[in-house]
Amino acid sequence: MARYLAGRAAGVVLILFLVCLFTFIIFFTLSPDPAVMICGKTCTPERIDQIRGVLGLDEPFPAQFLGFFAGIFAGRDYGEGANLVHCAAPCLGYSFQTNQSVWDMVVERLPVSATVAIGAAVLWLFIGIVAGLLSAVKEGTWWDRAAMGLALGGSSIPNYVLALALQYVLVVQLQVLPFPQAVPFSDDPALWFQSYLMPWLVLATGYACLYARLTRANVIDTLAENFMRTARSKGLSPALTLRRHALRPALTPITTIFGMDFAALLGGALITETVFGLNGVGKMAADSIAKNDQPVIMAVTLLAAFFVVIGNVVVDLVYTRLDPRVRITAR
Amino acid sequence: MSDLLVVEDLTVTFSTARGPVDVVKDVSFTVGRDETVGIVGESGSGKSMTSLAIMGLLPKGAAARGTIRLDGTDVLGASPRELRQLRGDRMSMIFQDPLSSLNPYYTVGLQIEELYRAHRGGSRAAAREVVVGALRQVGLPDPERRAGHYPHQFSGGQRQRIMIAMALVCSPSLLIADEPTTALDVTVQAQILRLLADLREQSGMGMVFITHDLAVISSIATRVLVMRRGEQVEYGTAEQVFAEPRHDYTRMLLDSIPRIDDPLDEVSA
Repeated sequence: MARYLAGRAAGVVLILFLVCLFTFIIFFTLSPDPAVMICGKTCTPERIDQIRGVLGLDEPFPAQFLGFFAGIFAGRDYGEGANLVHCAAPCLGYSFQTNQSVWDMVVERLPVSATVAIGAAVLWLFIGIVAGLLSAVKEGTWWDRAAMGLALGGSSIPNYVLALALQYVLVVQLQVLPFPQAVPFSDDPALWFQSYLMPWLVLATGYACLYARLTRANVIDTLAENFMRTARSKGLSPALTLRRHALRPALTPITTIFGMDFAALLGGALITETVFGLNGVGKMAADSIAKNDQPVIMAVTLLAAFFVVIGNVVVDLVYTRLDPRVRITAR
Repeated sequence: MSDLLVVEDLTVTFSTARGPVDVVKDVSFTVGRDETVGIVGESGSGKSMTSLAIMGLLPKGAAARGTIRLDGTDVLGASPRELRQLRGDRMSMIFQDPLSSLNPYYTVGLQIEELYRAHRGGSRAAAREVVVGALRQVGLPDPERRAGHYPHQFSGGQRQRIMIAMALVCSPSLLIADEPTTALDVTVQAQILRLLADLREQSGMGMVFITHDLAVISSIATRVLVMRRGEQVEYGTAEQVFAEPRHDYTRMLLDSIPRIDDPLDEVSA
């Protein structure tokens, strides 16, 4: 087990290194000079050189990249002499726009994205699985057709359309909800709930529709398995037959997909956060891309990759608990 | 004493897009207590559908007509609840492929235990003892430990032994074995056949043994029903059917068995 985890951890670091490298290359070769952007309108060549020196942009590519990557684990110093700034590990540099520590920005915004992701996940798992299960059990009935038609429609609506429509109806027309703002739960639980309700609904809709279809398909497949015939031949109650024999085999594959989806969402729900103006990691990503704020873009890219890679490892570990046929063997 | 199982004019009909199709037509036979009746036929002859109809396990879209009586109980007319009480308790079934017939997510002990408790109730601990006893009875080594293992951790023959232990844990009066040895190696086949014959003899239950293999039937059944395209083409004692088959199809089936005794007879003659 320890050997397995060590191997996986090494894999995680390698993947993050590669993600880092590719993102860095893209910016090094494609983006306009950040120093020119920071310098602004009243700019002199001396000032540009100075900025480049402070940001380390005058160094060759390998030195810049290694400086950045090493900074994540060991921290790093910017500038020299009186201008020296120490950036403690985990150092993701400073925003070109606000000069804020990027790590502090991430720490500040991650709870917002996590709240959005967790609330939406609870909603979509519950709705998706219950609807899919009912559809499978009532396969071919009007309920099944209606639910699956709705699911197809629901997964076809783009998030921003749904978000704007909900906002127009609930906030502007009916005025039953306030405009969302990222208030902490401890400040005002009621406002917190009202603020996050629409983002949750918007994000959950697409996933719930997808999960309903997945659950339905998996349950129908499982119901046709030979072991279900055995369970019926044993005289078990229909409830026990469904709950014990059909549900677990049918839902186990959904854990894999859920792990991936949820992990990706922790890296920020870009569209939903932007439409509702929630200051999460997703909105940070959108803003940084619009302003070409390289350190922030690096950070959100790495963060998303980190969650996906970790999510993968967690799913693999959880799977060994869910499916007795899957066991860990260290390679 | 009356027969254990009476099947009269059993017809199984599938409703399809092109109208109803009879997959079993007017099949009649009886199984006495303490007797094995073999049902023989090629794939699609309706032998499995006949057995599923007896268990009340016909797939969606299939309906059975006629009479099926188990020990006086009308099976076709039984409510779903009454059927559940019969299944696993008074009649049990074992299937062709023991691996896919066991749920991969649960230990074999639990899968036998849940059947026992569904019919007899009682604590898990008490049921566990019965389960271990049932596994020991079918010759599974180290049953206390093995009850906690999952189906994939057993060999094919062991899995079929487990299915047999499960089917017999409530001591049913009728066992339906649907091609129980087809998916197994030849040497293991013989062991499983021996086991089924022994257990049947010990318990005095009736058995319906379904196979496409006439050689197997001849060693285990006292009476034989030959089916083809859903119809019953021959029905009689094993000696009768094997010695003087009345139907061409049965003769053809018998001729398809490679015989080792003919040349031997010539030599000894």
